[in-house]
Amino acid sequence: MNTLKAGDAKDVEDAVRAAVAGDQPLEIIGHGSKRSIGHAMTTNAVLDVSALNAVTCYEPHELIVTVQAGAPLDEVVSLLDSRNQAFAFEPMDTAALLGVRSGRGTIGGMIGAGLAGPRRIKAGGVRDHLLGAHAVSGFGGFKAGGRVVKNVTGYDLCKLLAGSWGTLAVMTEVTLKVMPKAETERTLVLNGLDDVTANRAMTAALGSPYDVSGAAHMPHAALTAARGALAVLASTGQAATLLRLEGIAASVAHRGAALAAHLAPFGAGEFVEDAVSAALWRDVRDVAPFAADGPLGVWPVWRIVCPPASGGAFGQALARETGGEVIYDWAGGLLWAALPPSVDVVDAHAASLRRRLAPLGGHAILLRAGEELRRTVDVFHPQAKGVAALAERVRQSFDPGSILNRGRLTRTPIS
Amino acid sequence: MTIMMPASDQTVLDRRDAIVADLRAIVPGEGVISSAAEMLPYESDALTAYRQPPMVVVLPETTEQVSRVLKYCFDNGIKVVPRGSGTSLSGGALPLADAVLLGLSKFKRIREIDFDNRVVVTEPGVTNLAISQAVAHAGFYYAPDPSSQIACSIGGNIAENSGGVHCLKYGMTTNNVLGCELVLMSGEVLRIGGKAPEQAGYDLMGIITGSEGLLGVVTEVTVRILRKPETARALMVGFSQVEAAGECVARVIGAGIIPGGMEMMDRPAIHAAEAFVNAGYPLDVEALLIIELDGSSIEVDELIKRVEAIALGCGSTTCRISGSEAERDLFWAGRKAAFPAVGRISPDYICMDGTIPRGALPRALARIRELSEKYGLGVANVFHAGDGNLHPLILYDANKPGEMDKAEAFGADILRCCVELGGVLTGEHGVGIEKRDLMPHMFSEADLSQQQRLKCAFDAQGLLNPGKVFPTLHRCAELGRVHVHGGRLPFPDLPRF
Repeated sequence: MNTLKAGDAKDVEDAVRAAVAGDQPLEIIGHGSKRSIGHAMTTNAVLDVSALNAVTCYEPHELIVTVQAGAPLDEVVSLLDSRNQAFAFEPMDTAALLGVRSGRGTIGGMIGAGLAGPRRIKAGGVRDHLLGAHAVSGFGGFKAGGRVVKNVTGYDLCKLLAGSWGTLAVMTEVTLKVMPKAETERTLVLNGLDDVTANRAMTAALGSPYDVSGAAHMPHAALTAARGALAVLASTGQAATLLRLEGIAASVAHRGAALAAHLAPFGAGEFVEDAVSAALWRDVRDVAPFAADGPLGVWPVWRIVCPPASGGAFGQALARETGGEVIYDWAGGLLWAALPPSVDVVDAHAASLRRRLAPLGGHAILLRAGEELRRTVDVFHPQAKGVAALAERVRQSFDPGSILNRGRLTRTPIS
Repeated sequence: MTIMMPASDQTVLDRRDAIVADLRAIVPGEGVISSAAEMLPYESDALTAYRQPPMVVVLPETTEQVSRVLKYCFDNGIKVVPRGSGTSLSGGALPLADAVLLGLSKFKRIREIDFDNRVVVTEPGVTNLAISQAVAHAGFYYAPDPSSQIACSIGGNIAENSGGVHCLKYGMTTNNVLGCELVLMSGEVLRIGGKAPEQAGYDLMGIITGSEGLLGVVTEVTVRILRKPETARALMVGFSQVEAAGECVARVIGAGIIPGGMEMMDRPAIHAAEAFVNAGYPLDVEALLIIELDGSSIEVDELIKRVEAIALGCGSTTCRISGSEAERDLFWAGRKAAFPAVGRISPDYICMDGTIPRGALPRALARIRELSEKYGLGVANVFHAGDGNLHPLILYDANKPGEMDKAEAFGADILRCCVELGGVLTGEHGVGIEKRDLMPHMFSEADLSQQQRLKCAFDAQGLLNPGKVFPTLHRCAELGRVHVHGGRLPFPDLPRF
């Protein structure tokens, strides 16, 4: 594999321009920590942007940070932490799930993947925090957005870059919104609820005025598969439903009590505080029960998004019918499903799963799977014909030659 | 001032009678308006300085009618200008002489309220406020609250990515919309997103929101609703210097506090508002901040104390804290009435809408003062200070020859200044025709070309709302050409796929 390491934005522009001229598709990587997500790319050349790793400008009072796309995520997060700020969308660290070295991953990869954590229900996703970008499409360099939150000047191209898996443009520098970290947090843990009842409890919590910033449910089997913070909860022998409150201490105490009373019909809960609570939510965010080095490490993992109130019933049926494990985040709007491989099911349940998601308005991507499975199953959710055609025209408006990450999103039919 | 709009297509105008008849076959009854008198209300939106009668007005009632009208226009090369409630301040719904004006005012039904999934599915002609009102009985609301919310439609909000005083904490329209039914210029009907928190594939909803009616016509919207906070209280803080108020805004944010709203008014705006609504605003200050904290009562009480201390530390001269809902409403009454209040002290005004980094507020104000002297025109300033969104109101008299041109030049200078200070041309009102010709000040040719190529993906013929947002029209074929320059090939030896 030929690798071209870009030293600056001009290198990126030159490399893409030359690749367009020569019809040479490029795989775009930062640290390469998420390379196993998506279809195998039909390219034998790599454009590595990890050397574009500077923090251009951090302005805590403006609530923004401008960094080059190859900046390591963990370093940027530490920098924000030093000023008591954070990315409010809780970017997921996919290392444990995918079985790559921890602490890897760049800002560009975070945006390209668009995988937000538990606080998405309150604070929005990656797409809601990307304010501006300099990027290189198949037509050359361009700027999108700006450095302020309130901006409606022209089309909001940043929204497209988030979650585009590097198929529209190579980002070189981005501006992201940051938020103050909460002073304290506590989590109400309800024990012993089945998935459907837990879904109802989470719906009740989100429908309350107590400003819940995380709502997850872990069936008992998933807890026993986890190590670390979630594993501690397994000792009760029951499922755990987690509801997080964040803010100033007095408020969190008050809202916690009120929430517990509001959810009393679902049983008496217990509270865990601060560091213990934070560790739980890190594990929820990173899908610790399905870690690659854990007992379910070899099972394919689906990431399913659906209307939140329908998640419990869908996941419970899926787990029952496949013998797999399902965990719930976003109050039921995000499901992670580890489904056991079987000689009878060659598609990792893709067809049946997606067929039953359709009437709900849900969708699923096969986030973790071996190469062979990824050759036979559509990793990304197939879209309705008209929308897929529009999306393809949108892609072509950036990269008509399919130079960038060619083949990553769409399965090439086996010849 | 005149603004160049795309040249009228005489062959379309020549066929007007036949076109009107064809449209009547698609939208029967009163849904097609073609008499000059009846078309009068559609000649402009809220940017009233610009007027143009449309060729014909069509008010469809169903998605199928919208689809058929668009397909008919697509097949016959007829331009279409979509319109919601017509409250745009940037001329986004200004008609064209040879275009169909497609009004969505008959789409005024809320289709579904789903409290469990915390969404409302609605037709686009429903007003912003009506959505909040429809869910208020259960303690929910729709967060974006543009000041025109009693009149502006949710479809228009999608087009403009509308904000409001609470978007500092709760986001703009784009952060609160989950999906839509979209009709392309070709008549094709698409479903984008839905009740799920994210959509599959590229974030098309994100690009449709704020696209100013250039990409498609929205016929149904799914918005996120939120539970109302337990309580909200406001502080009204006066400063003898604008700089001190700006510093207070920065320090509140710096202390990790994100208020529900943080608004600023300068002396002329304070005086105009006070004379209009008697909100009890102090008249001996140069700047007034209204800071609203929301959440649990314990939290609000604590944050009020912290903000009060910060304000004192910045040299505030007056500080009142609302003790009741009535008092909180009164604090806001003046701010919300600032535009009509200014309308009483000046025969005409134009409302500008740039955004700057918060920290640049004092510099921006100083510059606006200089420009005010240079042009000899008064200005009253109201800001969404929390997010750096400025609304200078430039006072002029349209009956005095040349004053409107002067006011517009003044406004353009303010917006250029916003860009120079690291900000943008428009924070929430949109580009429309008003800021169209300033776009090159913020975006290079390459930046604009990338945006216009995206337009081609939705509307390759450029028939939908042409003449808005982009200063130059390009053919899609020309934009889609990759210009290959010579130069080194970094992978000379690789086999080509």
